[in-house]
Amino acid sequence: MNKQSLIILASLLLSPLAMAEVVVIGHPAGPDSISSNQVRDIYLNRSQQLPDGQKARAFELPEGNSARSEFHDKVTGRNDAQLKAFWSQQVFTGRGQPPEEQGNAAAIKARVLSTPGSIGYLDAADVDATVKVILTP
Amino acid sequence: MRIYFRLAPLALAIAAGSVMAQSSDEAVAQMQQQLKAMQQQLNSVNNDRVRFNGFFSTGYSRASNDAGFDGITEETSVADQSLLALQGTFDVTEKSQAVMQLVGRGSEDWDPVIEWAYLSHRPTNNLQLRAGKMRLPFFMYSDSLEVGYSQTWARPPAAVYDPVAIQSYVGADATHTLNFDGSSLTTQVFTGFTEEEGNISEVELRNTAGLTLGWTDYVWTVRGIAATGETSINATRLAAIAEANGLQLVDGQAILADEERGNFFGIGLGFDDGTWQVISEITRVEVDGKFADTDSAYLSVARRFGAFTPYAVIGWVESQDNDEREAAFLAQAPSGAVVPAVPESILNTRRDEYSVGMRWDITPGVAIKADITHVRGFEDSAGGLNPAFVLTSDNDSTNVYTLKLDSAF
Repeated sequence: MNKQSLIILASLLLSPLAMAEVVVIGHPAGPDSISSNQVRDIYLNRSQQLPDGQKARAFELPEGNSARSEFHDKVTGRNDAQLKAFWSQQVFTGRGQPPEEQGNAAAIKARVLSTPGSIGYLDAADVDATVKVILTP
Repeated sequence: MRIYFRLAPLALAIAAGSVMAQSSDEAVAQMQQQLKAMQQQLNSVNNDRVRFNGFFSTGYSRASNDAGFDGITEETSVADQSLLALQGTFDVTEKSQAVMQLVGRGSEDWDPVIEWAYLSHRPTNNLQLRAGKMRLPFFMYSDSLEVGYSQTWARPPAAVYDPVAIQSYVGADATHTLNFDGSSLTTQVFTGFTEEEGNISEVELRNTAGLTLGWTDYVWTVRGIAATGETSINATRLAAIAEANGLQLVDGQAILADEERGNFFGIGLGFDDGTWQVISEITRVEVDGKFADTDSAYLSVARRFGAFTPYAVIGWVESQDNDEREAAFLAQAPSGAVVPAVPESILNTRRDEYSVGMRWDITPGVAIKADITHVRGFEDSAGGLNPAFVLTSDNDSTNVYTLKLDSAF
């Protein structure tokens, strides 16, 4: 086994630990911080309110996105199949609609920036000067 | 926006029309494809104000005999277990919505039926008012009764969910949610009327009023309901049984309740920590008159292992007023004489149900379920099943095998 393949193997083994950190971002005029429980409640349709009383609007990354898995693993504790089953019940009982999905981190940034009361999440590596990080779960 | 209202029933009609021409499996796959494409198209038009969702189920059930548990016999077909629904949610204003749900069932030749059609208004974050056609909230899973994908089971436990034949009402409700730190209390009051024609009977509920209370900390759920209404029941199947034997029931004999007081009570308990899911409901149906008053209950335990969720359910239903049915329904014989034709005890009900099954989440949005249900303990009753079979055959049990595919999109 040459050196290069050893490095690849090592990085494969390490990859779960090296998983990117995910951060929750908010609209610039929204609250400066939010608790993990408050984010969970918004993403699981238990609350429609931000800590400052504004009506909350959440954005979500698509299924299969690694930042999405990381976020739900840490915040809601639900996998994609469980989320789908949960939202199907909410939708078909008229209790609400799932957070609107945006294709990628750039789209989430743009939507959160332009939507008052909104929150979203993305990979910490995608954070730049335009976003306001309100929680690192 | 008006165009979507017109598009939705049309789409369902088109999808249903093509079914007739093809084998069920192909048709089902194609229909799902079509709906998905349509849903994407519609949702891309205006993401903010209109949303379309759908759910779909198909499957195969076979019973060991013709006792007819959940309507399943030795000859049940795929179409009988299939349904397709399309739901449109239209934001009228920031606080108001119109919701419409169309369901086409294979057992009804896919004729689309409007199951929900209501306007909802949220004057505050914690209060929701609705008016229109909605599900009667008798059970914990009433609202999502037909959304198989949202349930662990292949079917809701029949002992509790079947004694009430009616599912919807036209009326209004108000739901208030009180949020505590980490839990919430939901109070719902509702009122309205129902007129539904089932396979067994025609049921009418007037001046219905009810209250539900639910508390949850998102792991534990406790729920209670009490409802009352003026109930009329015409047992059309009873008349059919008599007729099959060459007898004509005397007028009014099949009327089991004529604007009688009917009450419904239920309590439910749920536990779901993401790994274990335990659910139990206990219900009581009381109607003055000959109609059977039943008590019923079930206990369900499921455990998630990744994509697999095995479950086990035990259920029980028993009529509580058998002593009120010791006479017979009167019929006119061909000779013109009035004779006792069918013993009233035919309405007595008792049975136990045991189910084991497995839910397999193939991919988010699609689940396959396999279920075996064993039903016994009829004693001297018809068990709430097909009396012509249960009371005359030597079988004292029935087994029902089900393989089902549920999807939501």
